[in-house]
Amino acid sequence: MQLDSKESATGALSSASSPFSREPRVLVIVPAYSEALSLPALIQQLTAQYPFYDIAVIDDGSSDDTAQTVRRTRARLISLPCNLGIGGAVQTGFRIARDEGYDIAVQVDGDGQHPPDQVHIIVSALLQSGSDITIGSRFLTETGYRSTVLRRMGIRFFSGWLSLICGARITDATSGFRACSNRAIRLFADHYAEDYPEVEAVIVAHGAGLRVSEVPVRMSARLAGTSSIGALRSVGYFVKVSLSILMQSIRQARRP
Amino acid sequence: MRAYGHAFVFVLSLGVFLVILWLVRRRKIRERFAILWLLIAFLLLTASSIGYPYLFKIAGLVGVPYFPSALFFLAIAGLTLLVIELFAWVSKLNDRTRVLTQELAILRERVEREQSGEEQKGTNVS
Repeated sequence: MQLDSKESATGALSSASSPFSREPRVLVIVPAYSEALSLPALIQQLTAQYPFYDIAVIDDGSSDDTAQTVRRTRARLISLPCNLGIGGAVQTGFRIARDEGYDIAVQVDGDGQHPPDQVHIIVSALLQSGSDITIGSRFLTETGYRSTVLRRMGIRFFSGWLSLICGARITDATSGFRACSNRAIRLFADHYAEDYPEVEAVIVAHGAGLRVSEVPVRMSARLAGTSSIGALRSVGYFVKVSLSILMQSIRQARRP
Repeated sequence: MRAYGHAFVFVLSLGVFLVILWLVRRRKIRERFAILWLLIAFLLLTASSIGYPYLFKIAGLVGVPYFPSALFFLAIAGLTLLVIELFAWVSKLNDRTRVLTQELAILRERVEREQSGEEQKGTNVS
């Protein structure tokens, strides 16, 4: 029972409905492609706010000094020898989480779009809901997220489609700000789409019988750099994701 | 005229056949593709030699009035098969390189960590 008091002293995570008898081990996966400008502040805030989380920065073949920047911090640096795209980078994080037996993996993008102070909201929502994936949504409640009309329409379109497939209400299908249980980690370590993986991942998870939930979060505008999804690429994004949803529906389900 | 074209196709098929054999011998291409290519070259070879008269009959039976278009159709169908085969192969290679890239990065980090851990031995290791 002494252990209990010790656990609650360690902070934010302990909750009555937590399935863990100990403090869950959490890995923060930070995919980064040439984000040397925004990474130091992000890692500093993460380590300060979550001293018990491990942070793994996946350097996706950056051309700037992302690697050097990360080496100066407490975060682990995993440098991919060549660029794999966001899906391949995040999957590397899932592989580490699987191999080292983490209970929870949280994806936090390296561009500063995902505020560190929102991370615990997603993690505790995952624990409390008992689901396997919890998506941080910008649209569940009014969170002041601003974007172009077209982009919001696209997100709404995919969210509606995804809700139909999964039979659950999903409002922010394209959000990469999410937490995964160990079951989801094991699934994604082997099966994760290469580019624009967010929507497809939810379908794969649903097909494997995992439970998906959402929690409202605040997201900020990018600190530095440019979005990986520009104007022309938005069209490509739309086509690729639509096709991958259609293809998922004729594929065999994956099991973790 | 017809005899010239006939001979030309025959020599060409024979050339393809020999080149494939040579590539297999030198281990420049995998058997997997070699078999498909050899099959195509072999079909062309028979079609342009002993099978030549039969092609007219077959084309007529299938309902193709103009015989050369039947030959073109066969060639395109064969090439399409090859391209599909290549697509599947490239996808597989892509999956493999991705896994290898990830595992390499993970292992490299592990080695780096162990080395820095050894250097700090005795001092504060978290």
